[in-house]
This record gives sequence, structure tokens and C-alpha cells, in this order.
Amino acid sequence: MMTDMDKPENKSTQSPAIEVTGLNKWFDDFHVLKDISITVEEKEIIVICGPSGSGKSTFIRCINHLEKYQEGKISIFGQSLENGKSAANIIRNNVGMLFQNFNLFPHLNILKNCTLGPIWLRNMPELEAVDQSMALLEKVGIAHLADKFPGQISGGQQQRVAIARSLAMNPKIMLLDEPTSALDPEMIMEVMEVMIDLAKSGMTMMCVTHEMQFAQEVADRVIFMSEGEIVEMGSPDQVLKNPKWDRTSQFLEHILSHKT
Amino acid sequence: MDNRAAQNTELGKFIPRPSRPPVVTSQGLVGWLRKSFFNGFLNTMLTVTVFTLLYLLIRPFIDWALVNAVWSASDRRQCLAINSDGACWAAVIHWFNNLIYGRYPNELQWRVNLGLSFGLLWILPLNLKKVTSKLQIGATGVILYPILASYIFLGGERSNIHYLLACTGLAYLLIVYIDTLLLYLGSKKSSQVIEPLLEPFLGKKADQVGFFLLLGGLVVLIAIVLQGLELEHVPTGSWGGLFITLIISGFSIVMALPIGIFLALGRRSTMPVLKWFSIATIELVRSVPMITVLFMSVTMMPLFFPNTMDLNKLAQVIIAVCIFSGAYMAETVRGGLQTISRGQFDAAKSIGLGYWHTMFLIILPQALRTMIPNIVTSFISLFKDTTLVSIIGLFDIMLMARNISIDKKWFGLHSEPLVAISFLFFIFCYGMSQYSQNLEKKLNKNR
Repeated sequence: MMTDMDKPENKSTQSPAIEVTGLNKWFDDFHVLKDISITVEEKEIIVICGPSGSGKSTFIRCINHLEKYQEGKISIFGQSLENGKSAANIIRNNVGMLFQNFNLFPHLNILKNCTLGPIWLRNMPELEAVDQSMALLEKVGIAHLADKFPGQISGGQQQRVAIARSLAMNPKIMLLDEPTSALDPEMIMEVMEVMIDLAKSGMTMMCVTHEMQFAQEVADRVIFMSEGEIVEMGSPDQVLKNPKWDRTSQFLEHILSHKT
Repeated sequence: MDNRAAQNTELGKFIPRPSRPPVVTSQGLVGWLRKSFFNGFLNTMLTVTVFTLLYLLIRPFIDWALVNAVWSASDRRQCLAINSDGACWAAVIHWFNNLIYGRYPNELQWRVNLGLSFGLLWILPLNLKKVTSKLQIGATGVILYPILASYIFLGGERSNIHYLLACTGLAYLLIVYIDTLLLYLGSKKSSQVIEPLLEPFLGKKADQVGFFLLLGGLVVLIAIVLQGLELEHVPTGSWGGLFITLIISGFSIVMALPIGIFLALGRRSTMPVLKWFSIATIELVRSVPMITVLFMSVTMMPLFFPNTMDLNKLAQVIIAVCIFSGAYMAETVRGGLQTISRGQFDAAKSIGLGYWHTMFLIILPQALRTMIPNIVTSFISLFKDTTLVSIIGLFDIMLMARNISIDKKWFGLHSEPLVAISFLFFIFCYGMSQYSQNLEKKLNKNR
């Protein structure tokens, strides 16, 4: 297991965490992603925003190989994902993901949701996996719910379990697909705190979100997407306060007026 | 509200109201009767009509089946002489052994009881809360129990391997019960008890090796003790009655799910050959009546095997019924798989689970839970469908019941045996249905 983990670490000194070049994707005739290219360095925090249907979710799902794409190249720490079978391994060892609907496994309790990956994929002894997962649940503040089932806890708690479940696999990159958009304001805050901690702990993150507070506080770069293209990319101040395009400022006006 | 809110500009401290116990709404037996049966003219009329009809229907049946029934007589003539208006249960009582065991020799019927009891013993620990190794017990049961049971049922000259495997079955069952007993006494498992003795030689693997050593030792012990035991051969042709119904339906119920899961996953697979094979099997088997499948199994299956192979009619029928029920189960499973949202697949993939892990750890456990009512419905209809094997000449309970009416002594007696076996079937099927409802309740507790 350790040797597996060491490999990407050695490479990461030279290669960027994520490198996407010329990504194109179609759903039937519909051109969802148009020539997306981006390089994400290790420990960088990227926030992606944009109107619905702009392809931002599809984009980060492609990075995790949840969507197939027709053209382009994606590398994780210099390892290309296009070589068929190895893609699953590269992702398993490096990338974790959070979803809008949490997607916890409803038939397993909170603890087992977290220990499943380490036990079955890393051959970790059960006791060790339980210790590790309990430590992670402690970190996200829900260790006391370990024997509850996903259906018995609130949305905010579920999303925090999902974070612990991803962290149990020791990812170096986290992809977040609108992690707070299914939550009410009080729950958004509790999840946001965990996400900010995570960002400050040196995790590489790509986060699709409309929480501009998160972008302001931790993002290194903000990307604005529309119609399958990256319209703007730059520091949070640059994109959020001085956008170059009218489409960006229109969109920002909408979410800012909605928030207050 | 008002008195709790602050009057001045400072914010008041919000204290939630204390909760009250729920309002009592039940109004006793009389109230319930009036509300449910006699609230209004229409409902009263309905109640009276239905109960009158029920009385008119049930009263004659009770008269026939209980009040005027004849319980002991030596033949039908005597039955009619005693009371011609009642059921002649004497025939059923007289034939009872045959209804249960078919033509299995009377003095050997204890072997059937013994074999079936081992089956019950194997199922019992699966229903105990504290037992943790249920999957192992179940899987071993599926493999070893048929071997053990067939050894007991068949008897006669059997191969050494068959003998040893039957002993393994016994030994495993014994270990399960010792462990269960130790568990309830709060002690360690038997293999863990001898573990410290092996630890110095084997180190970490002592637990598993200890278990196999224990099993092996017991097998040898049992094999030696039972060495002299000789069981008289009873060919499958003499098996019958409820006994053979249980064997056929038991086999097909146990095999239906694995076959069904395999075919359903095959049908959803992206590998074309596997996909077409699954679709062809499912559609072909489902669109043919079960009787034809049974006939084909006895007439056509021998054509596919070398002449020298001695095919057994019972085995052929079991294979046919398993494939038939598997094809039906496949569609039930496919329906269950469709209830699982795409998010579950995404989540499984995002923590790195591959296809088989995803299916067996995430998707199937959830899908099977939603499928329980459908699965049990299939099992119940399967259990009843096995009566069709009487058509190809297996002496199952249905054929035995019909045989009563051609027995010289009870000639022409049709209704009583049919009512009797209906009653037996009802007990089994209702039991299955209740069991499934309990299972659902247990599994849904955490949702």
C-alpha cells in the first residue's frame, strides 16, 4: 500500500496535480465542453462557477472518469488517464469526490460508509480502518453519530460524512460538485467550515460552488464557465470584482442579489 | 407567544415550548366497531351483507369438514355408512405417510426426517441475532448440505469422497453449534480456544489454520465412528410426496437467486456475447410454459449427454426448474437494480470500487432489499408450481393425493385429499410470506 502511495508523490515534484488539455465532450449532438485546458498545481484551490448547463459539473466529473469524453487529455500527477484500465487505479490513489446529493450508502452505517474503501481496496485490517475512520469523523465533528444510518442524520451531517469517507482513502486531490447547494443556510455553514479546514490543510481542490465567501477566503483561482467554455480565469479579486466580460458580471449580480 | 417575547428593544431569549404527550384518539372497542363497521347506512348494509354471505359460505364447509366429518374408518364404504354428509378424513389419515414420504419405505422414513432436520438445523443459526458468520454458514450450507442430505436419503454404496464430504458437512454443523453455544456463554470461538496452542508455530495464521485443523480432526473422528453404518439404498424413483416437493422447491429456491443475479448482471453487461446469452436465456425460458421445460428436460436432456452417463429423472427435473426459476428471478433482479440511483454508482466509483465490489457491496444489497416482496412471491409460486412435476411421473404430493382416489378402498374420493394438501400448502406459503414481512421490517428499521 505504501509503495502505491509513494509513486505519485515522487512524480508530483515535477508534474502538476491536474493537467487538462483540449478537452471536448458531446452528449449526442450537444457540445458540452469546448476545448477546455487548465493546469492545476499541487495544493492549489480552484473554484468553478457559472450558470447551470455551462458544463462545470460535467467537467469535474470527467477528471474523475465518471464521464467519458471524446477528445482531449487529462493527467493526474503526470499520469495520463487515457490508458484504459490504469485510470481507475490512478484515480483511486489520488482523487476523492463530493456530490451535491452526498450519495452515502444508505444500507451501511456512518462508520461502515467510511471503512468500506480502506478495508476492501487497501486491505486494511478492520480495527485499523475503524480507528482511522473514527479519527476522521472526529475531525469533521460527527464521531458521536458513527453507528447511525445516513437516513437518520441531517443533510449537513451527511455531507460531512461524505468528506470523511473520501478522506479515508487518503486522496491528494478533492473534486467537489456543488457540495452545499442541497443544504439550508445553517447546514451550509457547518459544511463550509470543514471545507475551509480541508483547503487550508494543503489539499488540492477543484470546487464547483456558488458560495462566493468560500471563493474569497481560500481560492487561489476562480474560473467562470459558460456554454461549455472557460470564460474567465484569475484570482478571486480579479474575476469576482473586475470581470472582463459582461456575461460574468451579469451572473455575479444574480447570485449576489440572491444571497442578500 | 406574546408573554414569551421580549417587550423592550433587547432580543428575548427563545425557549422552545415543552412537548406535550400525544392526544389520545382511540375510543374503545365499541367506538371502534361503530366507526369501522356501522358509520352510516351504506357501511352498515355492506357489513350485514358481507357477514351474511360469509356465514352462508363458511357454515356448510364447517359442517362438512368438522361437524359431520368421519375421522376413522377402514374404507370409503364404511365412511359413507357412518355419515354420508361429512368429509372422510380417514382416507387422508390412512394415506398420510404416503402424502409426506411418497413410496419411501416405511421403516426407513426416519432417514428423511433426519436429513430434513439437518436442513432446519443449518437454517436456525442464520436467524440468531448474535451469530456473526452468517454468510459463511449460509454459503457452506448451500454446498455441503445437499451432499450430506443426498447421502442420508440415498444410502447404499456411495463413493468415499461422497462419504467424506457428508462427514465434513456434519463436522461443520457441529462446529457451528459449538461456536454458537460458546458465543451465548460469552466465550471465544472453538478455533480461538486452540489458537494459543498453535501460535508459536504458525504466528498470525493460527486462527484460520486452527479452524481447518479442528474441522479436519472432527471429520476423521466422525468418519471413523460412522464407519460401520450401512444405509439401505433407496433409489430416487421411490422418493415422493411432500418430501420430493420440498427437495425440488428447496433446490430451485436456493439456486434461483444466484442464477437470476448472474443473468440480470449479464443482461446489463457491456460485453455483447454475455449480454446476448443472458437475453436469449431469459426470453426463451420465460416465453415457454413450465410443463414444456419439464418435458424437454426429461426427453431432450439425455440427447446432450453421452449414453454412458446414467441420468436421473429427479436431477434433470431439478436442473430444469432451477433454470426456469432463474430466468424469472433475473427480471425481478433487473427491476431491483433499476431502483438504485446513478449517484450510488458514482459514489462507489469515486472511492475507487471496481465493478464486482460495487455490485456486491453497494448495489445488490440495496436492490435485494427493495426486491424482497417480489422475490418471496416468486418463491411461493415456485413452491406451488413444483406440483407440475407429477405430470412427468414424479410421485410428488399432488400425485400422491390423486392416487388416493384410485386406491380400491377409497375409490372416487377426490375432495378430501385436495383440501388436505391445500391446507399443507397454505401453511408453508403463509409461513414464507410472514417470514418475508419480518425480514422487511428488520431491514427497514434503519432507514
